[in-house]
Amino acid sequence: MTYDLNMSHQSSTTKMQAVETTTTLKSVTSSRLVRTLVAGSLAALLAGCATDAPQDTWQPKGPNSQMINDLDWVVFGIAGIVGTVVFSVIGFALWKYRDRGQPIPEQTHGKPALEIGLTILPALILVGIAIPTVGTIMDLADTSDTECIVNVTGQQWWWEVDYPVQDGCGGIEQPIVTSGQMVIEAGTKVLVRGTSRDVIHSWWIPSLNGKRDMVPGRIHTVRLEADEPGIFAGQCTEFCGLSHANMRMEVIAMNSQDFAIWKANQTQDYIAPEGESTFISQCSRCHQIDGITDSNDDLIISRPDQNVWSGAAPNLTNFMTRNTFAGASWDLLSKECRPGVWDASPSEIGAAYLDGVTDSCLNEVELREWLRNAPAKKPMYTDPESLGETNGLVRGMPYLALGEDQIDQLVAYLLERK
Amino acid sequence: MAIIERPTEAPATTNRGQAPAPKPSTNYGYLRRPVETTGWRSWAFTVDHKKIGIMYGAVAMFFFVLGGLEAVLMRLQLAGPDGTILSADKYNQMFTMHATTMVFLFVMPMAAAFANYMIPLQIGARDVAFPRMNALSLWVFVFGGVFLNTSWFLGGAADGGWFMYAPNSAVPFSPTNGVDFWGLGLLITGVASLVGAINLIVTVLNMRAPGMSMMKMPIFTWLALVVQMLLLFAIPVITVALFLLMFQRSFGAQFFSVEAGADPLLWQHLFWIFGHPEVYILVLPSFGIISEVLPVFSKKPLFGYPFVVFSGAAIGFVGWGVWAHHMFASGLGPVSVAVFSVATMAIAVPTGVKIINWTLTLWGGKLTFTTAMLFAIGLIVQFTIGGLSGVTHAVAPSDTQQTDTYYIVAHFHYVIFGGAVLGLFAGFYYWWPKVFGKLLNESWGKWNFWLMIIGMNLTFGPMHIIGLQGQPRRMYRWTEFRAGEGFFNLGFWNLVSTIGTFVLGVGILLFLINIWITHRPNSKTGPSPADPWDARSLEWITSNPPKEYNFARTPQVSQLDEFFHRKYEDVGEGDKHEYVQKMTGEEVIQFEEDNADPNIHLPAPSYWPMVLAFALPVMAYGVIYNTLLIVAGGAIATMAMFGWALEPADAESSDFDPPVEGDETSKELANV
Repeated sequence: MTYDLNMSHQSSTTKMQAVETTTTLKSVTSSRLVRTLVAGSLAALLAGCATDAPQDTWQPKGPNSQMINDLDWVVFGIAGIVGTVVFSVIGFALWKYRDRGQPIPEQTHGKPALEIGLTILPALILVGIAIPTVGTIMDLADTSDTECIVNVTGQQWWWEVDYPVQDGCGGIEQPIVTSGQMVIEAGTKVLVRGTSRDVIHSWWIPSLNGKRDMVPGRIHTVRLEADEPGIFAGQCTEFCGLSHANMRMEVIAMNSQDFAIWKANQTQDYIAPEGESTFISQCSRCHQIDGITDSNDDLIISRPDQNVWSGAAPNLTNFMTRNTFAGASWDLLSKECRPGVWDASPSEIGAAYLDGVTDSCLNEVELREWLRNAPAKKPMYTDPESLGETNGLVRGMPYLALGEDQIDQLVAYLLERK
Repeated sequence: MAIIERPTEAPATTNRGQAPAPKPSTNYGYLRRPVETTGWRSWAFTVDHKKIGIMYGAVAMFFFVLGGLEAVLMRLQLAGPDGTILSADKYNQMFTMHATTMVFLFVMPMAAAFANYMIPLQIGARDVAFPRMNALSLWVFVFGGVFLNTSWFLGGAADGGWFMYAPNSAVPFSPTNGVDFWGLGLLITGVASLVGAINLIVTVLNMRAPGMSMMKMPIFTWLALVVQMLLLFAIPVITVALFLLMFQRSFGAQFFSVEAGADPLLWQHLFWIFGHPEVYILVLPSFGIISEVLPVFSKKPLFGYPFVVFSGAAIGFVGWGVWAHHMFASGLGPVSVAVFSVATMAIAVPTGVKIINWTLTLWGGKLTFTTAMLFAIGLIVQFTIGGLSGVTHAVAPSDTQQTDTYYIVAHFHYVIFGGAVLGLFAGFYYWWPKVFGKLLNESWGKWNFWLMIIGMNLTFGPMHIIGLQGQPRRMYRWTEFRAGEGFFNLGFWNLVSTIGTFVLGVGILLFLINIWITHRPNSKTGPSPADPWDARSLEWITSNPPKEYNFARTPQVSQLDEFFHRKYEDVGEGDKHEYVQKMTGEEVIQFEEDNADPNIHLPAPSYWPMVLAFALPVMAYGVIYNTLLIVAGGAIATMAMFGWALEPADAESSDFDPPVEGDETSKELANV
């Protein structure tokens, strides 16, 4: 449990304002009851939140999310104080002025001076919130100081991540194309440029920054920077159709040596292992593997544009260097091996990640389920009967009717994709 | 019924028990106006704003239950990880239709029900300005709502979320007819809102009782007027957006197609320019209701009436300048984001003014905690929570962490359930005796209230945590890997939320049971007194329920809270105030009855509003299935419009069925 206990205290107090309200109403009957309930709910608050939720917005792990979090404290603090004052006044009025046989009160229509004062007061509070807000908006939008460009492209229902040739990111000499997981160097200011190939998706790694919609026809940017090596989970947050719930992603930050190794791994030469022919016959129409050749020694170029509505399918060249698949929705690592990577300390996580998915650590059950019948595992539009509107193009990976022996060959082949 | 003649001497019982008078042969056959005063026809063809209001409310209540059941299914699905109760497809339809139903088929028409019933009574009018148009808007809403929901049985409902972002709403991404049903259905219900808005605006501006200046108007009528103004300008925007969508889906237009050079953000701007005022369209009627309820049960006028009026109007204006706060994550650019962020904070001021005024209305009062009062107080507290969480995402950087998570779901349910729905329930309990002549049971009412409050906080409270700890909305399932460690992980709170849904559901069920035990045939509940709450405004200066013609004579208004000042007199001297009752409510009403107008002209019922309304879904089915149906619907509409225009202004008095001996329900002709 690496959760900062002190922070969990504060955050839960504000988050749980809701619970306090039920108590306010009850003050009608008894103020003692109120005290008990407030004490009780406070106690509940202290323990009321999940620890180590991977997408917790209140555990910033980089300067951008930290900026947002700093602002959150101000706003939630003020909201909490205002709420407490309002509810106390209401609670007091309900108790004090309950019908105890007092005469009919004065039929006053208000006191303009008091009214104006009570209008200006919230306005001033809001000005106090507005000033730091505008400052933070501008800081977060600045892209002049970023050191590394990574492109992300959303499509139903996975993210493609690519690194264009650049001097940034410690130098990229050959484009790298991967999916589901973005690898960056900790402490580097990364500029993510994003778009989409079909509908609107949203890129969100809560512990590193807020979300940004990735809209077809537009390029949007968002800053990312991780303080320390680690795995940072995220998820598509703009509803993008049938399998929106199954469109996840991770950012993996590692130190500069590990990052250099990772880059080198991504561009190493292709070696043809067993099972290649099954892959070529069944998968290579959509899935690219760099360096794979046909019997004439010609490079095989996949044509997802002829088969898939969005025109793209994940590049599987280095499949086993990532540890999730199918829109980062399932682990390639077995349950036993998963914590070894996900819960590794910042100093060890780079090496653990670079080990990739080994024979003994492969989550073979779910990978086989996927190969056997992908749309049964993740809802997608692949039923040939219902593809009239897309000219027969699938949205997602179709059912391929593979035999068990073909699946064996593919699993063996994919295991070599490091 | 056309003209009610008040007999000066003997009651008009001459027809009683005799053979019906011969029907005149001079009428244009089918252009005769309906005359039934009993049975289903008296409801189907009525133009009486009260019957229309009741029907609006009953249908909206049906959709409330339907939308609630959709919510229950969703919460069951999310009670645990990897839920399997609904398929992904069905779940997506479920949340789309839950929101659509609750917004367009429950809260808006329920607010319309209150506005329809109460506005003419509150301003001392006999009906709305255009009674047949009023009936039209009811039936258009009913047929539109039914049309929208038939999609469940015709290939599946819309599945794009209630804001139906392009390009996900395009045919390749949503190939069933669901989105077509959604777009056409909302176009139809939009007609209902627009017709109703024009009608009520004209009514309020032109038909107030003598002496009722705008600043002596009951506050509910004021805020309902602001809502009608918002509708008048907001509905055309969504209509344009829906037309573009339907042209894209049905006729191959390219308004949102990126391939053709369009920008899908166009849809978001159009939708939210409608959608944000829509939020105020949903909550302002309830603000109006509790601004009536709080003074009555505090025995004090609304504190700062002009401030509440003007802050309501201010919300109505500023509400148009904040739409892009729904789009902080959509890549607008930092300057736009900053401007809309600050504008959004600005709108918190008039909203805060309302909370302050309600609190100060309670302050120094003489508070009685009836069920209506409890719901009103519940609104203040729950809406304040929603307002405060709203301020947290007016802060755009924070919003990029919060938007499209359950934190937003929590926020808008505190605003819409806590704000709009609790206010509607306050209205149910407060005005039930006015509308139905019987008081709802207060003990059941208290259970109803507390279970709803506890239920809503259990349901929506945990969503704050679920969202801030990273669970996005609109996911048909969640996974334990992202739920965190510890006992109070997201799984725990998801389960609490589901349990809360059932508590909330039981609370609402108690309301339906309360109606049943009040109105069942052998109910022990007697008729309500004429003035059960010691109320303050004009709608109470008449019997419960009001006669068809509302007021025995058009009331003369000299003060805000006219009814209170007719009952009580300030006998204090100088700064000392002492109020003594000079008349009871019954006496005030009796005084009006004793001085009744001799002649009252009421609009006659009509067949044509329903026929015209029926034509719209026929045409809509035609757009989806067959052009011939469009032609058929168009023919019905044309016929209805001509029939509407040509039908005689009043029914012939000899057309009325003679009242049956001893039948109390057909009393109008005989007893008036």
